[in-house]
Amino acid sequence: MTAVVPMLEIRDLHAQLADGREILQGIDLSVNGGEVHAIMGPNGSGKSTLAAVLAGRDGYEVIAGEVAYLGRDLLAMPAEERAREGLFLAFQYPVELPGVNNMYFLRTAINAQRRHRGEPELDAGQFLRAVRAKLKLLEIDQDLLQRAVNVGFSGGEKKRNEIFQMAMLEPRLAILDETDSGLDIDALKVVAHGVNQQRAPDRAIVMITHYQRLLGYVEPDHVHVLQGGRIVESGDKDLAVELERSGYGLLGDAA
Amino acid sequence: MSTVVDFPVKPEARPYLDAFGSGDPGRRARDPDWLAGHRKRSLARFAELGFPSRRSEAWRYLDLRGLQEAPMLPASAMHVVAGMATRAQLAEVGLSQAAYRLVLVDGRLAPELSAVEGVSPGVWLGGTATAIAERPGLVRSAIEAPALDTARPFAALNAAFFADGFVLDVAPGVELDRPIEIVHLASGETGGSLHTRSLVAVGAGSRASVFETFAGLRSYWRNDVVELRLAAGAELARVALVEEAADALHISEMLAVLGPTSRLASFVMLLGGRTVRHEATVRSEGEATRCALHGAFVLSGRQEANIVTTVDHAAPAGETREVFKGVAAGRAHGAFQGRIAVRPGAQKVDAHQLSRNLVLSPRAAIDTKPELEIYADDVKCSHGAAVGDLDEAALFYLRTRGIGREEARRMLIEAFVREAVELVGSPQLREHLLSRLARRLAMLEE
Repeated sequence: MTAVVPMLEIRDLHAQLADGREILQGIDLSVNGGEVHAIMGPNGSGKSTLAAVLAGRDGYEVIAGEVAYLGRDLLAMPAEERAREGLFLAFQYPVELPGVNNMYFLRTAINAQRRHRGEPELDAGQFLRAVRAKLKLLEIDQDLLQRAVNVGFSGGEKKRNEIFQMAMLEPRLAILDETDSGLDIDALKVVAHGVNQQRAPDRAIVMITHYQRLLGYVEPDHVHVLQGGRIVESGDKDLAVELERSGYGLLGDAA
Repeated sequence: MSTVVDFPVKPEARPYLDAFGSGDPGRRARDPDWLAGHRKRSLARFAELGFPSRRSEAWRYLDLRGLQEAPMLPASAMHVVAGMATRAQLAEVGLSQAAYRLVLVDGRLAPELSAVEGVSPGVWLGGTATAIAERPGLVRSAIEAPALDTARPFAALNAAFFADGFVLDVAPGVELDRPIEIVHLASGETGGSLHTRSLVAVGAGSRASVFETFAGLRSYWRNDVVELRLAAGAELARVALVEEAADALHISEMLAVLGPTSRLASFVMLLGGRTVRHEATVRSEGEATRCALHGAFVLSGRQEANIVTTVDHAAPAGETREVFKGVAAGRAHGAFQGRIAVRPGAQKVDAHQLSRNLVLSPRAAIDTKPELEIYADDVKCSHGAAVGDLDEAALFYLRTRGIGREEARRMLIEAFVREAVELVGSPQLREHLLSRLARRLAMLEE
């Protein structure tokens, strides 16, 4: 039997901002293919910093610890290489790109990733067929794709566009940063359905969220509580339910 | 031997005076008396003014010392049949499907490269030299109209030396839907300066679209003056694309006079040339005119470019919209100077100007200088200006999708300029401009 290499293995990760404030204070986390993890925690616990560090955003310094992604040193890769190796971050606040057409953006991204994997680039026709299939999944209006990326999109449209990008890019590991925030119940259901459709044995999903709400629609295999830059408790989906009832204040050192 | 003159002469103007006295016998033979007289008066005016110095506000951002030190005398060569290199250039920069095309090589009409036959009835399109003979009244009034008392040294030099140019004269009530393409090429074989003088006159209620490209090889100085006259209710779109040779100097002036309820849409994109200056002056003389004055420049290496605009609202209820985008990389220097004037009594004028600029390297710089002069009390005028670097959040977003840093930068720069290009009405021209822009951006950081 061959040893299973975890999708993501975080060991004792410490990271600080440029001003020296230490936001992550020893994160340990192991994620395997096929699993869905939820990372919950109050505001300021380090959830979004964890997502940013994993995706490779500038402005954070890793001062200790390591992150292995499919057995490779994730932190040594620039952001674009992480993406090409199959890491995807759905942004809490998707960025508006005035003048950048959504279709052009997506095709450029897909082809950059395909080139990296040594696959032929998609031509316009193949790309369009792939787009049509995934659009239905997220109930996205085709007009949205002819507009500039996220410009003039409603909050819900932006979040659906993130999950649509995920569906197009077919990542190995997807990190969803507060994808549920700012969504009404109908939009939440659409987004959750989109995420559920993408659960697969060779794909892992890490959902970062403040609330239990999303977890009612996308059922996690593991739930972790992040507080003060550390994972203070881990459990199954019942932990989320318990948190929703009792609040974060009852755990460990009060936030 | 120097020419004998009885007016003050700046030292740097002397070689041009000598060239005027001795040059181009063909020109002197062709010129009617009024034009010969106008050329002499213009030359005297230039001699008195000399080249502008940086002390002059309108010229403070451009380094013209090269011109001061080494004269670039007017190319005197008669028209020669365009060579292979020129034809290749035309194929490169021309529109893929031009309905009508007029090509000027080294400042002179090249009939063998032009296709102006079969233009709609009521439309006259041809070279300025021909128009002087065939449309004397129109050309004379245009050339003599601008007062010589203002300090326009390049326009004065242009009037003294221009050999040709183009004239588009559209009778009232004619609608030309497809753009008329004018291509100004320079073979680079003449060295020296190329002076072209052009005129577009759009009759009452008529509509026209002109697309001008400036390109060339090697080293030369182009000095172009074009005047646009819009009669009552006329509509004119003028797009200018400057893709001059890397070592060329380009100075151009566009002068527009707007009649009542006329609409002018002007777009200029500066991509090539060592030193480029585009000046646009619009006089809104009739009521309720609409003027869209947009443009962009993309610079790298040691390029210098300057866009200078003036919109003068002399009548009420006019509307002006300006969007200018500047990009500078390497050690390039760009500048935008935008003046909007509203004269006393020109009430209900609505003018907005936006100048946004991207500086991509520590040694590049862009200056932007909006200037509103308002002498009426019931107007809406505003401006905005910004100079900055690429948005880091946007770059990161693209990179998290697998797009490399360089490609991401190029996408964002293109998107930045695209926002101005999108304001061009003709889909054919938009597409052409975007493809030329993409080609330019691919060479930006070299």
